[in-house]
Amino acid sequence: MSRTRQLMDALRDSLGSSDPLPAIPVMPRVPAPPARVYTPKPERSAFAAQAARHTTALVGIGHVGTRYATDVVLQFQAELAVAHAAVSAELPEDWAEQNGFVGVRSRVTSHREFLLRPDLGRRLDDDSLAVVRSRCDKGVDVQVIVADGLSAVACMQTGKALHEAVVRACTNRGLKVGTPVAARFARVWLEDEIGQEVGAKVAMILLGERPGLGTGDGLSAYVVFGPKLGNTDGDRNMISNIHLRGIPPDDAAERLAALAAAMIAQRCSGVTLDLGRLGEVAGGRGYRAPQVRQKLVGGAS
Amino acid sequence: MILERIIPTVLSVRRLQRADPALIAAYGGNPDKHTALGLVTCDQDDAMYVALDEATKQAPVDVIFAKSFYAGAAHASGRLSGEILGVIGATDPEEIDEGLDALIRCLAHDACFYDADGKRGVTVFPHVIASLGEYLAKEAGLEVGTPMAYLVAPPLEATIGLDAALKAASVRVVRITPPPTETNFACAWLTGDLDACEAAAVAYAEAVVEVAGTPKR
Repeated sequence: MSRTRQLMDALRDSLGSSDPLPAIPVMPRVPAPPARVYTPKPERSAFAAQAARHTTALVGIGHVGTRYATDVVLQFQAELAVAHAAVSAELPEDWAEQNGFVGVRSRVTSHREFLLRPDLGRRLDDDSLAVVRSRCDKGVDVQVIVADGLSAVACMQTGKALHEAVVRACTNRGLKVGTPVAARFARVWLEDEIGQEVGAKVAMILLGERPGLGTGDGLSAYVVFGPKLGNTDGDRNMISNIHLRGIPPDDAAERLAALAAAMIAQRCSGVTLDLGRLGEVAGGRGYRAPQVRQKLVGGAS
Repeated sequence: MILERIIPTVLSVRRLQRADPALIAAYGGNPDKHTALGLVTCDQDDAMYVALDEATKQAPVDVIFAKSFYAGAAHASGRLSGEILGVIGATDPEEIDEGLDALIRCLAHDACFYDADGKRGVTVFPHVIASLGEYLAKEAGLEVGTPMAYLVAPPLEATIGLDAALKAASVRVVRITPPPTETNFACAWLTGDLDACEAAAVAYAEAVVEVAGTPKR
């Protein structure tokens, strides 16, 4: 650096006129980028429109530029919220007794543990085991268990109604139904231990299923012949999507009763069960109207 | 900003590889020695004198012509005229290139006027040359390598500033050019120890700034 410049800088500092920052340079005016406005483009494909009438899947929803329309995104977020709420809901401890069930629970102690430890949800705790042994009828044909599973919301909404319909349908077929049991923090395999303890020929658990988008209220039914600890999923038959927009509880009850009767007749269940003539027994599988997507958010569409 | 640097602008730089001997003689060169010329114009004459001297230190060139234009850069005869034309001469054109490099480097990074009143209405040139080159040494009648303070300001400011500079350090006068010079400034060359020259230059600049701030008292 120039010696003279150093001297003058020092003099400027001593005169108190030091300005550490240079003057702000005049910046060039940058023109604003052109505004890009996308208008929603509804889906025009006839194929997509027809497919969309048969499913609740996101088919034929159109687009805005390269993205979803706002109402589609909001609907998606609302449906996801419904699923989250269903998973995080808990079955109240007194729900079973209030609705006329024998209340039992798995070895799980908290809801968080229930989500993290499926193995604990498959076994009864000691108190519940004693309750089952003391209060439940033994040697029955069908033991029905209502449980929360992954959606306590579904259990509380349609669990009792489905249970009553199943009991009615089984009784009509001449099957002896066991004491109604409701289980907290239950996984599917809990039916093995309960069925084994009461000596039932068939155990049937009706529990809230893992929520999908917009369906937090679906129930699944898992049926097994000869319930005992050690059964696998290959030994079970199941019906899912039991809710008002899917399989109505009354239809499901008829089919479950037919399934249980077939199991007792064939003395097996799961992959070895012959389902060939089950349709006739259950009254045939008629036309089922396509599911309709519930609109959760308002908006222009 | 007070004492902000006013960096000189180099307006034109041209070379003559083999100039006509009559031209060289007319501009004060020796036609046998100075066959190649480098020509520069600039808008600050005193910075240019210092830069020409710097060129003689960095390259084997001679300053054969250097004259300020009347009334300064604000009244130039053309947009390339500025305030001064400087001509360096040498036998080898590559030496001219060397000299021009040193000259332009000095104008860009060393010698410059400073703003004395924050509005560029008053400017001051309080330059210290640590070691004189051949050109200014000859002009000043001093030995090559002597320190010198090269002080320029407008007439009244320069007068008061020179008084302050002479009283601030043990320097002696080499040459005082009272106003008006060609560009209507006033100039003084002082010599002494390097420290004394620096102290004199600082006192000169401070006095000019003070006068620029309070012209009537």
